[in-house]
Amino acid sequence: MAVNELTLLVVIPLGISIINIFIPSILRKILTFLGLCYLLFLNYNLFIIPAGDAYLFNEVIFSLDKLGFFTIAFIQILSFIILIFSLKGVVKSIEKQFFVLYPMTVAFCNGAVLSAHALGLLIFWGLTGITLYLFGVLGQTKDAPKTAKKTFIIVGGSDAFLILGFVLIWFLQPASAWSLWNVQLELSGQLAYIAFFCILIAAFTKAGGFPFHTWVPDFSKDAPVESVALLPASLDKLLGIYLFARIVLSLFVLNFGIHLMLITLGALTIIIAVMMAMIQHNGRKLLGYLAISQAGYMIMGVGCGSWMCANGDIKGGSIVALVGGLFHLVNDAICKANLFLTLGSVEKKTGTNDLDKLGGLGKSMPVIFTMALISALSISGIPPFSGFFSKWLIYQGVLDLAKNMSPGYQIWLLICLILAVFGSALTLANFMKFLHSIFLGKRPKTLDNIKETSANHWIATGLLATLCIVFGLFAMQIPIKHFIMPIVVEHGWAIPTLIGSYNPILVILFFGLAFLIGLVIYLFTKNVRYDEIYLGGMEPLEKFRVVGTEFYNEIRNMVPLRSLYDGAEKKYFDVYDLGSKGSFSLARLFRSIHRGQLQLYSLWIIVGVLILLWIVK
Amino acid sequence: MILPFFIIIPLLTAFLITLISGKKDDWAIILSIIAALSLLVLSVFSFVTIGGNTVVYNMSAWKIPYTICLVLDALSSFMLLIVSIISLTSLMFSIKYIRHLSPSWKYYALFMFLVTGMNGVIVTGDLFNLYVFLEIALIAAYALVAYGSKAEEFEASFKYAVMGSISSILILVGIGIIYSTTSTLTLASIAKVLPERNPQVMYWVGGIFMAGFGLKAAVMPFHAWLPDAHSSAPAPISSMLSGVLIKTLGIYVLIRFFFNVLGAPDIFMTIFLVLGSISILVASFLAIGQWDLKRLLAYSSISQIGFILLGLGIATPLAIFGAVFHILNHAIFKSLLFYNAGTVEMAIGTRDLRKMGNLTKALPVASSTSMIATLSIAGMPPFNGFFSKLIIIIAAVQAVHPGYALIAVVGSLLTLVYFMKVQRYGFRGEELIEKPDVKVGLGMKASMIILATLCVVTSLLVIPGIREVTLESVVSVITGKTDYIFNVLGR
Repeated sequence: MAVNELTLLVVIPLGISIINIFIPSILRKILTFLGLCYLLFLNYNLFIIPAGDAYLFNEVIFSLDKLGFFTIAFIQILSFIILIFSLKGVVKSIEKQFFVLYPMTVAFCNGAVLSAHALGLLIFWGLTGITLYLFGVLGQTKDAPKTAKKTFIIVGGSDAFLILGFVLIWFLQPASAWSLWNVQLELSGQLAYIAFFCILIAAFTKAGGFPFHTWVPDFSKDAPVESVALLPASLDKLLGIYLFARIVLSLFVLNFGIHLMLITLGALTIIIAVMMAMIQHNGRKLLGYLAISQAGYMIMGVGCGSWMCANGDIKGGSIVALVGGLFHLVNDAICKANLFLTLGSVEKKTGTNDLDKLGGLGKSMPVIFTMALISALSISGIPPFSGFFSKWLIYQGVLDLAKNMSPGYQIWLLICLILAVFGSALTLANFMKFLHSIFLGKRPKTLDNIKETSANHWIATGLLATLCIVFGLFAMQIPIKHFIMPIVVEHGWAIPTLIGSYNPILVILFFGLAFLIGLVIYLFTKNVRYDEIYLGGMEPLEKFRVVGTEFYNEIRNMVPLRSLYDGAEKKYFDVYDLGSKGSFSLARLFRSIHRGQLQLYSLWIIVGVLILLWIVK
Repeated sequence: MILPFFIIIPLLTAFLITLISGKKDDWAIILSIIAALSLLVLSVFSFVTIGGNTVVYNMSAWKIPYTICLVLDALSSFMLLIVSIISLTSLMFSIKYIRHLSPSWKYYALFMFLVTGMNGVIVTGDLFNLYVFLEIALIAAYALVAYGSKAEEFEASFKYAVMGSISSILILVGIGIIYSTTSTLTLASIAKVLPERNPQVMYWVGGIFMAGFGLKAAVMPFHAWLPDAHSSAPAPISSMLSGVLIKTLGIYVLIRFFFNVLGAPDIFMTIFLVLGSISILVASFLAIGQWDLKRLLAYSSISQIGFILLGLGIATPLAIFGAVFHILNHAIFKSLLFYNAGTVEMAIGTRDLRKMGNLTKALPVASSTSMIATLSIAGMPPFNGFFSKLIIIIAAVQAVHPGYALIAVVGSLLTLVYFMKVQRYGFRGEELIEKPDVKVGLGMKASMIILATLCVVTSLLVIPGIREVTLESVVSVITGKTDYIFNVLGR
């Protein structure tokens, strides 16, 4: 009997994970590598010939539609590439646990996406949260246990709401029978809204959407860098936006107000996170905030999806934005994973990810610098890289939706759009700071002997950087045509015509021309005078080195941003810290009436009895 | 007829231990382990074979209502099974733990009296007999709480005894009212006669029993004895108290009386819902504020009892299924958590979470099993707690109680919060502890591994096919309500 291919996507990595507990290090790596190679091959097979559903107890447990295939494909691609990076360089003391957790995470992520039944999704979703926590406790920093706890409370807590959401859907629409597809629950009545918000909380938490994003920067800072690239940067984002897309496309019929709310939340996520990134001194935390910021674009794009006209047809702009949102998900996962990995390479060589202590490594690590540069430019939305095209699609979609609205809503959408564009500019500004702090400027003396990193790091970051370029140049021909448009077609929607023209080849020609002009100008004015910095006769000390983190100190101190930044640094806007403070206040209140006095407790019993007797009288 | 053996075996063992043990505890250990094993075999046999039947055993040649009868149905055999599992693992855990604390045969004798009392409460079909067994279990528990002989343990035991006595008085008053109204003490006869004689008495007695047995179950506001008693007792006794005693003397009796005797009147179901919700939320916040690991676990027990009451209060077959499943699950993971706490206390000499550290290297079994127990109690898949909580939430929504479903969800989240605190400070803190001060015994490790395995294996009880032959028959006894009368007395 042939084994269902969808089942293999879960069983194989899970099996590898279990075997990895018992075998030596080298075999562990080989087995994991071969296993993930096979998963890529399976994925290719699924691309050519779609697999049938998998059954257990005569119930469909695994099934794959086009949205699922899109997510599954990139889970395999990214986990394979990040594995290449992880083959050498994982801290020895945690290597075994890492290679047990790694394929296990892939199995659970696959399971979550393949689940046709909400119960299956709940189980696998919860399991991915557990592996996230276990990766968190492998962190080597002092704060790692604290961060792992915070992460699991936020992520695991959101799972509880996911359960309630699905139970409510089932209650309101029993015919759906816990299916994840074509539920199309109308948002009318309190319970439907509660169900919607419960599931939205889970999706936002996983993807890092505002205001449930606060675990991402901390996890990025404290967990092993490979796991950061794997989970919050790519797989968790894929899962979160996958669930969000399910909400929009098949679980609920959204109304105008909800679409507007989602776009607004997207814009807020973009701008708040990017502003927070500006004041970071820790490279990983900076990337963490930028990962959140990019989730805002996805929320904005996918949140526009399924926006209906009065006659029930789906608006063209909505589809463009949806395509853009999903494409941006892929781009961000690729670029952000690459940026974490490049920073990881630097960290493994220098022993720090503190931007204040780095600098001038472009010369000693040119390959890693180039890969980081490509990813940074791509995710900042610089053409012809992939990030530009996805953002371009989202902007177009939102503009198209705004066309036929009343002026008030037009202004609202325009403000969201401006925030998104401004956020893109600030992303670039942040990456200037990031790149300068690590690779440009004057190199600290302590980093004089730093050499390029190992070949597996080059290959992994090189592959991801290549994807940034290829998906930019051939966006329409590869990712959109083969992975995203089938989702639109499957829903029976018309493929929209894009507003405005964009030709990446033409853009390259323009860039080439600009480069040539720049070169000519340089050749004519190349007699630049270099002088020693005069410091009143003093030796140029380390403290006079210009570090990238100082670029935006003015913004940090600007009124009224200063008080907002102060508040943010004191965690006034962190749902986790707010929840902690609230919980401890209540705990103190309840403890104040539990003083250990026997008389008091006896009184409670007597009063309790009297109340009960009064109730039942 | 195996029914009396559930009482005879532990009772006889207790006396034998007293008689033949010398200064050493070897014989006491051997005898009590043999007794616990025998009880486990008997309870597995009875649970597997009982199905939907009810077995009645009259203690004399007289017939009901002139005799004391013992009753075994799916519910009582289910409870016996839980008591047997936790008793055996607790005894295995006790060998090294009690030798380290204060070795004595008295501990094992008291332990066997505790089991006698619990088994007696479960199998008896007579209300006054139930009261007697309840007192046997409680007196043994008072002594065991104070076993460590420290000041705080005596204080906890004293408080427990005072509040336990208040509840016993309430129960005795209730029994007196019932007897004066119905002239019978057999539960099935009471169920038959009470509504006919004076329905109002039914509600008065219900109110009194709600408080009396609610105190045994540590339902808020009758919970105040539990944090002191459960945190002061030796770890295996804490696991017996939290894992099975509060369920046997509290929840089981509440189910038997309010469902099988009174027929689940709506007013009491509402009281179950309200008290359950209060227990879930308030006890969770109290647990969050704790730094004493065992005290945190004690408050957590109150909260988890709230989940069980919530399921019972919703009173649909699905909700009762969830509640029954959670009784089993809570017994498993809470006992495991107390073993973990006991191991840590023995190995590094503290229960204060702030003084612990990273114990993954020093206590690998305790830290990994504590992780499993944490995930189970926090309702994370695929562990058993996930399914019981999920079922309770589904049942609440189905019964159009979305507010109670939300309380269950928030309670789940809060459970995760305080158990993450346990993991973060207790087992995975910053400071790596290389070696324990005292070596952990093989029996301690084995008991933790058995219960951790059960945290996963019992999840299979929700699978169709397994569910029908296990928990469904227990649910049928509860949802059958006063069918109990016919099952015991015959038609």
